[in-house]
Amino acid sequence: MSDQLLSHPYLHTADDLSYEDIQLVFSKAQYFLENYKPGVKFDDLKGMTIALAFFENSTRTRLSFELAAKRLSGEVFSFAAAQSSLAKGESLIDTFRTIEAMTVHMYVIRHGSSGVPRFLQNNSNSIIINAGDGKHEHPTQSLLDAFTLQKYFGKVKDLKVCIVGDILHSRVARSNVTMLNTLGAEVGVLAPGTLLPFGWQTWKVKPMATIEEAIEWSDVILMLRLQRERMESGLLPSNREFSNYYGVDLKRFNSKPNLVLLHPGPVNFGVELDYEISALPNVLIETQVTHGVFIRMALLSLLSKFVKI
Amino acid sequence: MNIYFRGILVINPYNNLNEKLNIWVKDGLIAYIGKEEASIEQETETVLSDDLVCSPGFFDMHVHFREPGYEYKEDIESGANSAANGGFTGVLCMPNTNPPIDNPQVVEFIRNKAKNHLVDIEVSGTLTQGRHGKAISPMFELNEYGVRMFTDDGDCVMSSDVMRRAFEYAGTKDLLISQHCEDHSLTENFSANEGVISGKLGLKGYPHIAEEIIIDRDIKLADYCGNMKYHVSHISTKGAVNIIKEAKKRGQKITCEVTPHHFVLSDEVLTNYDTRHKMNPPLRTQDDIDALIEGLVDGTIDCIATDHAPHSLHEKHVEFDKAPNGIIGLETAVGLSLNYLVKSGNLTLELLVEKMSVNPRKILKLKEINFKVGEIANITIFNPYAKWTVDKSEFKSKSKNTPFHNFELTGKPVYVINNNKIHKCQL
Repeated sequence: MSDQLLSHPYLHTADDLSYEDIQLVFSKAQYFLENYKPGVKFDDLKGMTIALAFFENSTRTRLSFELAAKRLSGEVFSFAAAQSSLAKGESLIDTFRTIEAMTVHMYVIRHGSSGVPRFLQNNSNSIIINAGDGKHEHPTQSLLDAFTLQKYFGKVKDLKVCIVGDILHSRVARSNVTMLNTLGAEVGVLAPGTLLPFGWQTWKVKPMATIEEAIEWSDVILMLRLQRERMESGLLPSNREFSNYYGVDLKRFNSKPNLVLLHPGPVNFGVELDYEISALPNVLIETQVTHGVFIRMALLSLLSKFVKI
Repeated sequence: MNIYFRGILVINPYNNLNEKLNIWVKDGLIAYIGKEEASIEQETETVLSDDLVCSPGFFDMHVHFREPGYEYKEDIESGANSAANGGFTGVLCMPNTNPPIDNPQVVEFIRNKAKNHLVDIEVSGTLTQGRHGKAISPMFELNEYGVRMFTDDGDCVMSSDVMRRAFEYAGTKDLLISQHCEDHSLTENFSANEGVISGKLGLKGYPHIAEEIIIDRDIKLADYCGNMKYHVSHISTKGAVNIIKEAKKRGQKITCEVTPHHFVLSDEVLTNYDTRHKMNPPLRTQDDIDALIEGLVDGTIDCIATDHAPHSLHEKHVEFDKAPNGIIGLETAVGLSLNYLVKSGNLTLELLVEKMSVNPRKILKLKEINFKVGEIANITIFNPYAKWTVDKSEFKSKSKNTPFHNFELTGKPVYVINNNKIHKCQL
């Protein structure tokens, strides 16, 4: 297993990972999950420099990557856009070239504009990992979501997963639709028409009409975060209306025994989810975060095999 | 320099010519045209012209030369050189300069810079003062200074009332109004055509209806005001073709243009987030491309114009959603049209000459180009069979923002002749 390589020396979209690639990441993540102990370090990234370039705010994804790289003995440095020369008007590509001139082997990129990892990859031979780009993709999130389901159900194939909420603006939704389909799950979507992207009918998804129907159909509800800007841009009449028609409260959650709930976080409690369900055993939000570190360790380790030092 | 083309296919719809002839250009005039051998003087270069076509000079009625205001992107000199190198002997500059072309001083400034050039540089004026979309510009005065068309290109006049007044006012003197058709309320912050591709790539979309709603509105306004003349800039959608086709059938005085990039490329190319594919209107779908080509064939679309929009590399080499719209087009237009319209069997050479020379000149009321002894030689010579690879480093434009670098094309411009000057195209 240790000699197997991923199909591509980068990860920009969920499309970059084949079924076999995903299994490879999962088994490596399982290995780290079983063998990691406090105080123990692996040396997969020894001698390598990993830049965490976050041009947009993030808590869990950045911490998760940082911890993952450090547990693998990588040299990590963080780059925060707010304190950089970007604030002085330096362009993204110049900032990137400046970082690159310091000899970096892998980049973890978060950016508010769709397509930035691909744009930078077009100008670089380094390994670029997408940690979320605009409204496009967030492939490591879909990896950890699928891994969480794999661990919980024993398999992802034939699971019915319904993605609920702001699909239009969601990079998590795009990556999950692709990856869940790669793994053989059935994917449903539920959102008001204003929060669905044009052309969603061509996606491999089953549309749901109501939250009740979605819960009835699903083994898993993957709830998305509803960003507050959506109300201001006129896509929704109010938080309250969204909550009434699309939110999951205790009553709805309890209407189906064994229903599992995922959320990429951070949660807007009171809008898409009720706070009181967050501690229930089938609500796997914290497990997702825990698995996130092992998934990212696995990915960094597998991609490091492409690094030439 | 005097030049003699021997056995060249002369196509000139103005004179009903479409045959192999010999043509001699001397001191900027046509000194001989006919089937017999001319008795040429010694200081004349003779060109054996088996594969060449001689056409009235091509005219591009939609270019941005950026001067005054943005000379680092392009200026009148470099823009004119680019036009000549691309096979054009005339262009119409758009008025979104800084300051915009909304007063005679700017018109005079440009005319002054454009003197003594091979390429005739015509000027369009803004439709509204300052391009603000509020009050109509001094069209009568601008027209006296030679302005041939009025448009706020780059922006659309959103107020129906202002547009109505513009039609009424321009109609007094039969002046030509043109529109960049885009309902801005539907396209805010767009990066791509709204469709399956934009949904997948997470890019804000520009729905095709945003273009069609304005065309539809303006056609109704022009009709209401008494069938006023109206030219639609750079149409890009199937719906636009259909609306204009119907209006023409009803007898409305409407004309329109299409750019080469809109009939060659679809939004499928966007997956690499290369900003050289970002423009306004955006690249549409294959379905739209098919309709645009059909529109060229059936006469719905009158002419091919480039929307030559230079931007410097540092402006384009950014995040996709932050990049400015536009690509250069003057030095690829003839090659793309010959390859994707003529070689593909959609247009005859004669129809192509109509779309690239005769029709834009008619729309702008420019004088006819006659191939008769004693007339000024205003000529584009092209080779419809020459195979070449587009190399942007050969371009005379200051900017290199083209998506066609390394394209392999059949057909290219060879010479342009005008204003007693000859340029051999280097591509």
